[in-house]
Amino acid sequence: MEDPTLYIIAELRKGCITQETYELLSFARVIGREKKPVFLTLGKKVEEQAREISQRTGCDSLVVAGEHLEHYNALSYAHALMEILQKESSAWVCLPHTSMGYDLAPRLAVPLKAACITGVESVGDGSLERPIHSGRFIEEIVPKTPRVVVTVLPGAFRPCEETSGPAGAVRVIEAAFTELPSQTLGTDESSHRDSALKDAEVIVSAGRGIGKKENVSLIKRLAALFPRSAVGASRSACDLGWFEHKQQVGTTGQSVSPRLYIACGISGAFQHVSGMRGAQTIVAINKDIHAPIFQVAHYCIVEDLTTFIPLLIEATNRTLPSR
Amino acid sequence: MKILVCIKQVPDSSDTLQINEQKGLPSYTEDAAFRMNRFDEFALEEALLIKERLSETLVDALSVGPQRVSATVQRAMGMGADHGIHVLDEADGYRSPFTVASLIAGCVRARNYDLIMTGVMAEDTVASQTGQLIAALLELPCASSVIKEEVLPDRLQIAVEREVEGGSRETVKLNLPAVLTIQPGINFPRYPSFSKVMRARTYAQEVIRAEGLAIEEPRELCRRVRIPDAPSQGVFIEGSPREKALKLIRILHEKSLLA
Repeated sequence: MEDPTLYIIAELRKGCITQETYELLSFARVIGREKKPVFLTLGKKVEEQAREISQRTGCDSLVVAGEHLEHYNALSYAHALMEILQKESSAWVCLPHTSMGYDLAPRLAVPLKAACITGVESVGDGSLERPIHSGRFIEEIVPKTPRVVVTVLPGAFRPCEETSGPAGAVRVIEAAFTELPSQTLGTDESSHRDSALKDAEVIVSAGRGIGKKENVSLIKRLAALFPRSAVGASRSACDLGWFEHKQQVGTTGQSVSPRLYIACGISGAFQHVSGMRGAQTIVAINKDIHAPIFQVAHYCIVEDLTTFIPLLIEATNRTLPSR
Repeated sequence: MKILVCIKQVPDSSDTLQINEQKGLPSYTEDAAFRMNRFDEFALEEALLIKERLSETLVDALSVGPQRVSATVQRAMGMGADHGIHVLDEADGYRSPFTVASLIAGCVRARNYDLIMTGVMAEDTVASQTGQLIAALLELPCASSVIKEEVLPDRLQIAVEREVEGGSRETVKLNLPAVLTIQPGINFPRYPSFSKVMRARTYAQEVIRAEGLAIEEPRELCRRVRIPDAPSQGVFIEGSPREKALKLIRILHEKSLLA
């Protein structure tokens, strides 16, 4: 059988190509060996971005253009892509595992009669590997269909290097507009962010594992030991009302890269990790030795943080008599 | 409005999951406890809030799985769902999101729900597929990661905000019927009173056997489940709690992270 065609759906955020898009090329290289993937970029006026992709990667780009594709919408994107993808009897369609990718992947997979495998972290021998149970186990999934739709976890692959070879070709096709039962009206970019997190050199972050709201003060006291520090939190700790959503670190919050990140009672689900893996030094404190946060931490402490943080504060004060 | 909320039962802790080395498939220990997927609690709560807002609204809760899943359907009724549906699926081994979604789609196709809701993902398998797959199978519009919703007065459309990366929000308008997957943080799921939970035990559940529903051929299989190879590249700091604290402080000093 002929090697399948590889497609990468490019993702744009505020008009710029996301890093995740370039990570997908590294993934596709593992899947396709020598076969070059084709990038698909959808939008109202995105030729420039498609050219940037072709120059950086050397891969061909197909622009799917249309006024109605200005904002991401599952139905309009799927409608525009279906004409291209249905022509391929054997193809892999790669998307980032982001709010765009996991929203769109099933919508493409069902009519394509394709396997749909999401949240992939690595490639095994004929299988795609995805972390489950907060990273405690790995599931090896084998596609059984000639067409496969896959979403890849942000940060799981390194973004591809700039090619020294010639740029790929860019071709533009116009997508026809059809009335669809769903419409994206726009994006509100005025996100509620805490600039303190961006500027901080040290971030002390808390997760559900701190147990109760009363322990928030412990986190604050620990953060106060460091100059230029800020307090962050995991999604679930924010949802519980222990922290404000603007303090959230992770895919739906902020991505941070401080000099030091101290994760307290954070299990380490990829949604959080993808927002903090850029930190220079990561310390994790968690009483569960199996917590996946220990897979990314440089220094791991298996302790109950309600007893450990007071000891840590005490130890700091002892070594810093002047404070 | 007729609303369906799809809920998944998940293990209370992954400590109770063990890998059968021969089959390479996970199984639960005998003392395993199960509960409702937290993400689905937000979906159910949002459905109940719509019911409180809009007259003549009924909320059904559905779950797919073995006998034990009945307790989670019961919990949903204790929280306030009007009707519980248990798709009894006692098949052994891996069930892909596609198989589960096709069971649900097959079960609800003729029931004409105006709105189908579920959590953005399951805590255990984190695929973020089931809601979108149900929508694609039933050819309904769908919005995932919904952080705000408003049924428009004509009850023919729903306006939602999707939470996307970096804290931004996308506004989407969908014709009803539609499918929504709900992002946590949209509400505070209620904790049902003891008396409501007890009363829910007496409510009948509709049981539908999975074998009776047409399922499409699985499109992917699980070869095995295993423990990750390299659990950590980091250094585990050892000693008594006090020693660990002192060692950590020393490391932070050496790296000039503490003044």
